[in-house]
Amino acid sequence: MINLIIDNKNITVPRGTDIFLAAKNNGIYIPGLCYHPKLSQYGGCRLCMVEVTERGRTRHKFSCAQPVSEGMQVKTKTPEIIKYTKSVMEYLLAHHPLDCPTCDKSGECGLQDITHDLKLSKGRFKTVRMNKPMRRDNPLLEFNANRCILCGRCVKLCKDVEGVGAIDFQNRGINTIIGTAFDKPLDCSFCGGCLSVCPTGSWQDRTFKFRARHWELKKTTSICPYCAVGCTIETNTKDNTVLKITSNDARGMNEGNLCIKGRFGHDFVHSDKRIKTPLIKKNGVLSPVSWDDAIGYVAKRFREIKNVYGGKAIGGIGSEKCTNEDNYVFQKFCRMVLETNNIDNLSNMKSPLLNTLIHKSIVHGFTSTTSLKKIEKADTLFFVGADVTEAHPVIGTLARKAIRLNKADLIIANLRNVRFDSIAKNDIRLIHKLGTQAPLINALIKTIIDEKLVDLKRVEKATDGLRELKSLLKTFTIKKASQITGVSEETIRKASALVAKPGNCYIVCGKDIEEDPSGPDTIKALMNLCALINTASSLKTDAGKISLVFSRLNNNSQGANDMGVVPDFFPGYLDIDDQSNRKRFEKSWDTKLSDTIRKGTAFNLIDLALKKKLKAMFVMGENPIVNFPNGKTVKEAFRQLEFIVVQDTFLTETAQLADVVFPTATFAEKEGTYTNMAMEVQRLNIAIPPVCNARQDWQILCDIAKKMGVTLFYESSKEILDEIENTVPIFSGIYYERLIRQSFNWVTAHKLKSRKYKFEILNPKSVTVKKKRDYPFLLLTGPSLHHLGSFSRNSNSLVSVASECFVEVNRKDAQQMNIHDGDEVLIESIQDSMKLKAKVTKKLPENMIFIPEDYEWVHVNVLRDNVYTKVKLSKA
Amino acid sequence: MTPCGSGGQDALIQERKFKMIKPLLQGLALTLKYFIRPSQVVTMQYPEERWTPYPRFRGLHELQRDQNGKEKCVACGLCSTVCPSECIHIVSAENAQGERYSEVYEIDMLRCIFCGYCQEVCPEDAIFLKQEYELASSEGTGFIYGKERLLAPLKKHK
Repeated sequence: MINLIIDNKNITVPRGTDIFLAAKNNGIYIPGLCYHPKLSQYGGCRLCMVEVTERGRTRHKFSCAQPVSEGMQVKTKTPEIIKYTKSVMEYLLAHHPLDCPTCDKSGECGLQDITHDLKLSKGRFKTVRMNKPMRRDNPLLEFNANRCILCGRCVKLCKDVEGVGAIDFQNRGINTIIGTAFDKPLDCSFCGGCLSVCPTGSWQDRTFKFRARHWELKKTTSICPYCAVGCTIETNTKDNTVLKITSNDARGMNEGNLCIKGRFGHDFVHSDKRIKTPLIKKNGVLSPVSWDDAIGYVAKRFREIKNVYGGKAIGGIGSEKCTNEDNYVFQKFCRMVLETNNIDNLSNMKSPLLNTLIHKSIVHGFTSTTSLKKIEKADTLFFVGADVTEAHPVIGTLARKAIRLNKADLIIANLRNVRFDSIAKNDIRLIHKLGTQAPLINALIKTIIDEKLVDLKRVEKATDGLRELKSLLKTFTIKKASQITGVSEETIRKASALVAKPGNCYIVCGKDIEEDPSGPDTIKALMNLCALINTASSLKTDAGKISLVFSRLNNNSQGANDMGVVPDFFPGYLDIDDQSNRKRFEKSWDTKLSDTIRKGTAFNLIDLALKKKLKAMFVMGENPIVNFPNGKTVKEAFRQLEFIVVQDTFLTETAQLADVVFPTATFAEKEGTYTNMAMEVQRLNIAIPPVCNARQDWQILCDIAKKMGVTLFYESSKEILDEIENTVPIFSGIYYERLIRQSFNWVTAHKLKSRKYKFEILNPKSVTVKKKRDYPFLLLTGPSLHHLGSFSRNSNSLVSVASECFVEVNRKDAQQMNIHDGDEVLIESIQDSMKLKAKVTKKLPENMIFIPEDYEWVHVNVLRDNVYTKVKLSKA
Repeated sequence: MTPCGSGGQDALIQERKFKMIKPLLQGLALTLKYFIRPSQVVTMQYPEERWTPYPRFRGLHELQRDQNGKEKCVACGLCSTVCPSECIHIVSAENAQGERYSEVYEIDMLRCIFCGYCQEVCPEDAIFLKQEYELASSEGTGFIYGKERLLAPLKKHK
């Protein structure tokens, strides 16, 4: 720690802090426009001059670029400095257009604030208006070069944080301008970071433009409704309308960084396409009815079906997008009122073993990340089957921070050469063959054991089964592994050295692993890898450990599973067949649970419906017809059902098949909690009253229960969370009020029992994919940066940027078939066929095509079957 | 009232009646005076006769137009922010040229106290309080003045 004096105030700050930050953190104001705590130094605005007395010498220095030193005396407000700052401001304002009345930044503008603070009036210089043209080449961002003061914040953010580097300074002297290479239209990830850091109104949000003044907006802290990272956002509302989403650098794990979905994908809240009233199907047409009628009808039908076929003839699909409270009430409603245990959520249906594996990983301390923010402290980052840039862009920003500040090394193992822009010194890409994830991880383990990269004696003491693992891997040489996986021996050696090196290592296990048929094997191999390194580490604290982060798809995929919307567990992963757990919930819910509430057969709900074992289905906020593989079968399964109830915001494909549809509230109209992929429970708040007659999901469930004669009553979501806190052991200690300030992590909040780790002995087999002569290509699907679920589909801003789905084709294949960028191609599988625009790329291996699956209006799932889908490609 | 008998009250009335005569005559004299000299009358025969307000009188607002007939208001929202009675409602939007303008500009005349702050704060000189004072209306909505009533009419010669 360093002691110094700023303006006669004694201050102690850590070594390496800049004077600017030291002053700011201690309530001393220094004007400055180019400095931003999350960006690297630039020293371009020249405003933050201070008088520094050090070792008897007094000099003038720029406080943002000068680190503190012991005994330093700093004066920020001497007459000389004030005179200097004023003259710098005069220069800055000489060309700045005085259009504050029409500028959206007015009221939160850094330049305006400093002008006001320094009491500047008319300057001495003759002002000239530059009249540079506006950049309006994309639907979201607009750049007004006249207002720009060239502080370089946006340039740095784009390069450092987002890793895109789409904009930079151009020209020299008075002609300097911020622009894109060769003045092409802005082609970036549209994270909107430039908007958030710009101190003036140069960057403008076109979707918000002029709709309100800064001071008229009400800001409500909330959580982003899209991906599983769970960024903290601020919902800006005026007159009960959501106008824009901003971020606060000081709140949440995202440090003010958002992606395009988070920042611009909010306009679905006021979309015309929202369902406005409850709908009941009459003569094949969904027609509007009142809430009472719809609820009464649903209650009547459910009672009939329950009486005739028994409760287990009703299935329930919980939502990965609804809050924890909604999901808790949903499973309680299904188990208590409908007396069925046929409930599930889509993520569990896609990868049924994942929950058990995650739980095992938690018990052994491999998943002990308190917050995703920890990733920025990583020394090694290992993305296995995760397309971070597309699926979880904000993890990418955290990773880039680790690479920039911590000199972290990066390893990406993937089938495709996924894009990840970084400046890592060691950036290793393990591009392996299809189905060889598990052998690849085993190859890393083998190298670590062979080359004794960790202290094996210590591992042997702390674990069981190392000897078996060794003997199993005896015949599995690196050479063989290299042949199987297609990754060179040298790369495998290099990667294992990086994984095993001391320091924090974060493994992000992606969707490609979790939903793969060989997924469980790969995850077990990853756990072996973690055990090998963790137990060898002498440190008992979090530092120097390897940690597994399982990526999830939606904002609350984790929460839906935590809340027990799965057939095997009660909330909190309590075994459903265990009598004591059963008693616990019977006591809490004040009821007697039906005997049918037990683990069923291994079939999922779609199979049950196909086998006509289900008569009715209750779907809460999901669209399985589009989001579940094998789309045609899913549709067929839904057609078999007698009665379908759907709760959703939009009339999705599933809702169109339903007999009753209830309109539900979106994230802006809801309160409750979401759990992100690092098991952080975060709270969202009500920003506006419900739009067009919608209700929160749990309220609808309670109303139906009431009509069915069962008391299921809550006043607010706080009451539901209190019940969860009382009943579910892993959630004890979660309090609604406390969640306002900080998130709750159920992994670190409780010491879960840790047994001695036993190595999983798995034969490092690769999955062979049978080739079919007629269908030479293999279809891969994956995430998309611009879309996720029915929300993004109804957001005009997102659709305007990414309006068309595409199919990626390898360059060589494309050359052979004479396909060019933008050509329409026909993709045929055994199930179905579709036409899409081609995108020729180098990222893919040969004989494979890639289609993003989140363009919901393009039903990619109808092409897919349950395993690897073979397709054929032809020019349309 | 004083608690005394009816006889006492009668005496009081008698006394008042007597006292009334003098002011009555005074009043009648004044009436007579204005009858003889009508130029000294200060009240007005309102609908027939109309008052010309003083130059600094603050009456109905008017939104100005520039030389080309375009409205000056850029919907910066300062008037609605400064307004002490919160009677100005603005919805701003972007026009075809990408400029800011007020899609809705409403003043609730029932709430307006005619303080003139809006005129003072306007950076574009777009709003002035004019001399118009006849703001009566037979229904509530008639007091909410939208842009169609507030905007200065287009000048004919332009």
